[in-house]
Amino acid sequence: MANKYSWPEKPALLGTSVKRLDGPDKVTGRAKYTYDINRPGMLYGKMVRSPLPHARVVSIDLSAAEKAPGVKAVLAHVAVGAQVMYQGDPVAAVAADTEERALDAARMIRVRYEALPHFANVEQAMATDAPAVFPGGNTRQGATEETGDLVAGFAKAAHIVEATYATHVITHVCLETHGCVCEWDGDKLTAWISTQAVIQSAQQFAQALGIPQANVHTIMQYMGGGFGSKFGPDSQGIICAKLAKLAKAPVKLMLDRKEEHLDTGNRPSATAHIRAGITADGMLTAFDGQSWGTGGAGATSGFPLPYIYNFPTRKRTHKDVYINAGQQRAMRAPGHPQGCFLTEILMDELADTIKMDPVAFRVKNLPPAAPNAMWAEYFARGAKAFGWDKRHATGDPTPGPIKTGMGVSAHRWGGAGQGSQAHVDIMSDGGIVVKCGTQDIGTGTRTIVGMVAAETFGLPLSAIKVEIGDSLLPFSGGSGGSTTAASAMPAIRVTSVDALEALFAKVAPALGTAPENLVAEGGRIFIKGTPAKGLSWKDACKLIGTEPISVNGKWAQGLSGSGTSGVQFAEASVDIETGIVRVTRILAIQDCGLIVDKLTAESQAYGGVIAAINFALFEDRILDRVTGQMVNPNMEMYLLAGMSDVPKIDIMLNNMPERGVIGIGEPPTVSTASAIANAVRNATGATIRSLPLHPHKVLAALEQEKAGGTN
Amino acid sequence: MKAFSYVNPSSEKEAVAALKTDGIAMVIGGGQDLLARMKDYIDSPDRLVNVKGLDATMTSTPDGGMKIGSAVKIIDLFEHAQVAKLYPSVNAAAIEVGTPQIRNQGTVGGNVNQRPRCWYFRNEEFVCFKKGGSRCFAVNGENQYHAIFGNEGPSHIVHPSSLAVPFMAYGAKFRVLGPNGEREIAAADYFTMPTLQNVLKENVLDDEDILTHVILPAPGIVKSGHYEVRYKASHDWPLAFSTVVLTMSGNTISSARVVLGAVAPIPWRSKAAEAFLAGKPLNEATAAAAGEAAVSEAKPMSGNAYKVQIAKTAVKRAIMNAAGLNTV
Repeated sequence: MANKYSWPEKPALLGTSVKRLDGPDKVTGRAKYTYDINRPGMLYGKMVRSPLPHARVVSIDLSAAEKAPGVKAVLAHVAVGAQVMYQGDPVAAVAADTEERALDAARMIRVRYEALPHFANVEQAMATDAPAVFPGGNTRQGATEETGDLVAGFAKAAHIVEATYATHVITHVCLETHGCVCEWDGDKLTAWISTQAVIQSAQQFAQALGIPQANVHTIMQYMGGGFGSKFGPDSQGIICAKLAKLAKAPVKLMLDRKEEHLDTGNRPSATAHIRAGITADGMLTAFDGQSWGTGGAGATSGFPLPYIYNFPTRKRTHKDVYINAGQQRAMRAPGHPQGCFLTEILMDELADTIKMDPVAFRVKNLPPAAPNAMWAEYFARGAKAFGWDKRHATGDPTPGPIKTGMGVSAHRWGGAGQGSQAHVDIMSDGGIVVKCGTQDIGTGTRTIVGMVAAETFGLPLSAIKVEIGDSLLPFSGGSGGSTTAASAMPAIRVTSVDALEALFAKVAPALGTAPENLVAEGGRIFIKGTPAKGLSWKDACKLIGTEPISVNGKWAQGLSGSGTSGVQFAEASVDIETGIVRVTRILAIQDCGLIVDKLTAESQAYGGVIAAINFALFEDRILDRVTGQMVNPNMEMYLLAGMSDVPKIDIMLNNMPERGVIGIGEPPTVSTASAIANAVRNATGATIRSLPLHPHKVLAALEQEKAGGTN
Repeated sequence: MKAFSYVNPSSEKEAVAALKTDGIAMVIGGGQDLLARMKDYIDSPDRLVNVKGLDATMTSTPDGGMKIGSAVKIIDLFEHAQVAKLYPSVNAAAIEVGTPQIRNQGTVGGNVNQRPRCWYFRNEEFVCFKKGGSRCFAVNGENQYHAIFGNEGPSHIVHPSSLAVPFMAYGAKFRVLGPNGEREIAAADYFTMPTLQNVLKENVLDDEDILTHVILPAPGIVKSGHYEVRYKASHDWPLAFSTVVLTMSGNTISSARVVLGAVAPIPWRSKAAEAFLAGKPLNEATAAAAGEAAVSEAKPMSGNAYKVQIAKTAVKRAIMNAAGLNTV
């Protein structure tokens, strides 16, 4: 039901491509990231971490570090006798007057360990003779999910595919590492922290340090990526605050790349042994899957399975397997890239059993159509735009070593809004300040906050001063689950509309009309339908008087939605003599409700696709199978796409203003890897059922195909 | 990083003299490898001797070859017209090195003498043979990027230099200066297979030696080709690569040098492929068969058999490049 807060039917700004407000600041270096914050007398913190994957701490000797040059504080983070559960588990820390001295001093902290049995991978942890490493068991069996009569389902099947599918562990690799700068004033803490949750970080600092939340002020103006791994101070933030307290000086503690890989989260692995049935005319009948995965030391590994498609009878069990590695954290659409890959490769294998086109097969087995389930339309639009009709059947018949293929995949996500507050001031000189305790984690939130206010006031974006990323601002949630836009935008809209109404009340008498007859458009306030009868924004604001318009407001129903769908197409080429895969084209079709800024929305999709190319081809957290230590904790042997590895990417956003704002940060990263793997299968005729698509797997699958097939 | 002293010699003799110390002295060129090793606590020298100021010229020699100073930047090697004309595979290898930043800063000497990229060597937790330990972690560990030739041990690294391979294929000599004067060493004798005695190094340089020049002989009537296979298109280490230098008599190969990189603890000369190529016509069938011959004696480890196929392809395609044929 339309009301005064409803999104405008003919927006001037919303849905257009608007450059980021802070783009110039970022590219010129004026934007200050956490790493750029320097305080008078500031020290540098450095942590000491366990080099072993599982051990008991026998002794911690801080004395040499305490005497080291420039050292102002040293602390033990764990007690003697405690167990460390993974390489990188924090043990102690030091603060010194330079970063180099902190690093030197950290190496002088002598920790003796008694090595304990460890698991470097799920096979070791699941072995029948595995030692008891984790209290309560090395695995945790989840509940069985079951729908329909599975036996009857398989009885209806003309063909059954049975295979094991797997995805691997990758880490978040935020370009800006985790960390903060902590400064105390008595018992009041200010923390500049690289976080996706500025207000929640204040809350967590307060809880961990035993001080009132009112005494904590957290600030995050710019951030170099979080992807789900930066929702609080973590151990490094609390240690930083403690070091600052001990040293009576501000401390900066930013992690290095190795620490990032070891201890700031990862995407859990996922493996599933699946049996699935299909009728001769291409209807899915049954799905029986046993899955397991590892989220590291004592962490969960859940994911949706089967994904999207309608298996009328299905059964699924899942087991968390614990290994001695850093714990998982939410990572861009948690669970979905895994569930999507496991299901979508199976889908192409099923389609091939009856020689059915993969798009037609998917469309036939979709859940019922709905605004949040637009796949059928997207498959059709995408197939046309991508040239799907030129796709050959499985196995490129072209002679020569380079084989090319196409693949497709679908995904879904939520992206709903939640409680968020805002504040708007309109000054008598026409100035506008919009305040909200949300944060811009690189997605463009600062820009779209300004756009919604500018749209409401009928002004250009440059007229709005946006204040976000500070715990002293009106409450907003953490930026996770693609909720930021759908949470903050309604709050900004409601508060701006209320502020404009207050302004109309001041202006109406001067124009000889009632406030409800006024509109704000094109930098003017005027009587609806009579643009000549009005005032410029600036002149109108002169009527405000000495007390500015100052309005609080909050998120309201009806301005945001939930549930997005997307389909992606991939084209890849495979050199069958080297096993090297190159992705040549991606088409991403995505909805996100009302598009606020087309440019930053597309940018989210580009980023999601590129991250997923990394998941498909390159990234892999590799632990030495014997020692349990990571062999590639860097950005050299932990591979990430460079410019030459990024293909042509086309984004087709489906604007659905009637659904309100829905988040888009996560969904575009879900499908890409599955579509690429299916393209590789289409190119070569060989099925690779696990990621990454490393040449060793490609060559092995080709060998197996030559020897009689990968099925 | 351990604090160190820095010596800036004005001549190669001073550089050699500066390497004499009670502690550990190391030569620094572009620093693209050494500084990273120091930051990662893989090496902790007491003294660095800067050799960036030494000979950075590329000059023609009386016999029609070229003499390349160790301090030549990799980008300058790539952009040198005479190098590209006489030694196209050196040119091809140079542009494959690292990234633009690394090529702009890294030197020829540094590329030839850089330490292995083995991930066990590069992480301080793993005290392997090359760091004075008593095991090679690759044997029972993650060896997908390790050697498929020369796997007698004790170390199973692959030699990391991109330039050493074409240098060896063109029959280069390395001029070395030490406390007892200068000597020239054939590329084939410069790099050393690991033994328990010499495993801490990858070449014959003594602690007080410096590599001053790479001397390339006149190429003669040859066709050469270079082909590198890597996982990423952007900055990445090769999975395998090869340079071939074919001495031609009409369209017949009279003799061949086939050298592979990233497959063995040294730039790996394939005598089997060379023997096969002698007397054969230069065409695709010859290239494919030479590729097969090149890997006939490969002995992969538990996780890198796939590299045999890749090495075979690299040799085949290097020969096809030499023949002017499309490689794919």
